[in-house]
Amino acid sequence: MQNFIDAYSWINLRFLLEGMWVTIYVSAISVVLSFIIGAVLGLIRYMKIKYLSAVIGLIIDIIRNLPLLLIIFFMYFGLPSTFGIRLNTVTAAIVALTVFESAMLAEIIRGGIQSISGGQMEAARSNGLTYLQAMWYIILPQAFRNMVPPIVSQFVSLVKDSSLATIILLPELMYHSQIIYGQNTNYMIPMFVAMAFLYFVVCFLLSQLSKALARRLN
Amino acid sequence: MSMIEFHDVNKYYGKFKALKNINLTIERGEVVTIIGPSGSGKSTLLRTINGLELISSGQLLVDNHDLADPKTDMNRIRKNVGMVFQHFNLYANKTILQNITLGPEKVLKMSHVKAAEDAERLLSLVGLLDQAQKLPSMLSGGQKQRIAIARALAMHPKAILFDEPTSALDPEVIGDVLEVMKKVADQGMTMIVVTHEMGFAKEVGNRLVFMADGEIREDSNDPRAFFEAPKDPRAQEFLGKIIHVD
Repeated sequence: MQNFIDAYSWINLRFLLEGMWVTIYVSAISVVLSFIIGAVLGLIRYMKIKYLSAVIGLIIDIIRNLPLLLIIFFMYFGLPSTFGIRLNTVTAAIVALTVFESAMLAEIIRGGIQSISGGQMEAARSNGLTYLQAMWYIILPQAFRNMVPPIVSQFVSLVKDSSLATIILLPELMYHSQIIYGQNTNYMIPMFVAMAFLYFVVCFLLSQLSKALARRLN
Repeated sequence: MSMIEFHDVNKYYGKFKALKNINLTIERGEVVTIIGPSGSGKSTLLRTINGLELISSGQLLVDNHDLADPKTDMNRIRKNVGMVFQHFNLYANKTILQNITLGPEKVLKMSHVKAAEDAERLLSLVGLLDQAQKLPSMLSGGQKQRIAIARALAMHPKAILFDEPTSALDPEVIGDVLEVMKKVADQGMTMIVVTHEMGFAKEVGNRLVFMADGEIREDSNDPRAFFEAPKDPRAQEFLGKIIHVD
């Protein structure tokens, strides 16, 4: 018990919260970027544009079948040695997460659109609407409703996966707690408990927020 | 001027010939029913008229526009030719009223007020004014189909295509839908109706087309006479298998 009281000193807690802040903003930026990129890629995949859709499909399949950790390594260590592009840890983490999550979201979005019955598009086109009007007024709103649950869980995964960037010393929650218990191993369990609590709070709030937002949009 | 003209139209799916040498001219105000066994090409024929299926060869004129001509604006054709589907296909994310007003507002650029007034008039016509604010999922099949007819009428089309409009309905509500279709026919609308409702073909239709194996086997301006004595052997066989025709 004494370990817990000592571990949760003000200075340690503040250090953890600093880590949590990095987790939050790296995740937030990646969520926004990957949603935009994923939506565009998912739409292109759905629309079956000659060559383009197939090429993007191949890239998405490759990315989806790689470990995120490898993508993080590549962005941080691979880019400088192969292309001479040097990213700082925060940028490398954001780029890696965005690349990986965009591929995941593209598939969710494509699947969501495909799940809408073809009859809806036929009815809209027969009604005189253009392809884009039919997509905008009829298909996408219905598809979006189906997509919300998988998209939310993908974003929750993203927040948790950001802890992998501890490997490139991104000063996020996981890394900061490792620093604390690295100095005193008695703090290990208290730090695990603190991390569990903080990740839960962030992810739970994120999923509630997304659900509320989706309800508003519907 | 004819509303729809097929000249030697063929349609293939790979090697399969869905439509063979179709020649058919439909005048304004005609109520044409198309009957025939499953897989005879009835629905395919219907769906070529508003470009949901493309023809492989021949010429198809709708409202004097050649559908094979790349300069033909398909959206303009569809604006003038409504369609009612077997499975209704009402917009699941829109209310009943919005289902009817969406086309007029977005395609005909009608004001919201005008479109809503129009829609209410049509909802009274099909007897469903009290359902205006509901979502399609709350309606029965027969009600949905009557809304689908109202949605087609709201565009003030020159013709309406009906693709087996009563085939997915419970027997006791088929009458309600047929009654609405009869009202539409009585207003002088050009209608092409693929159907298994022989009663409708006989009573309401003023022309009957019998199809089998992708061909038009019989084309009669007197549906009653056709049902009395079909000339084509396939038509005789088809009618012979139908248990009850009143």
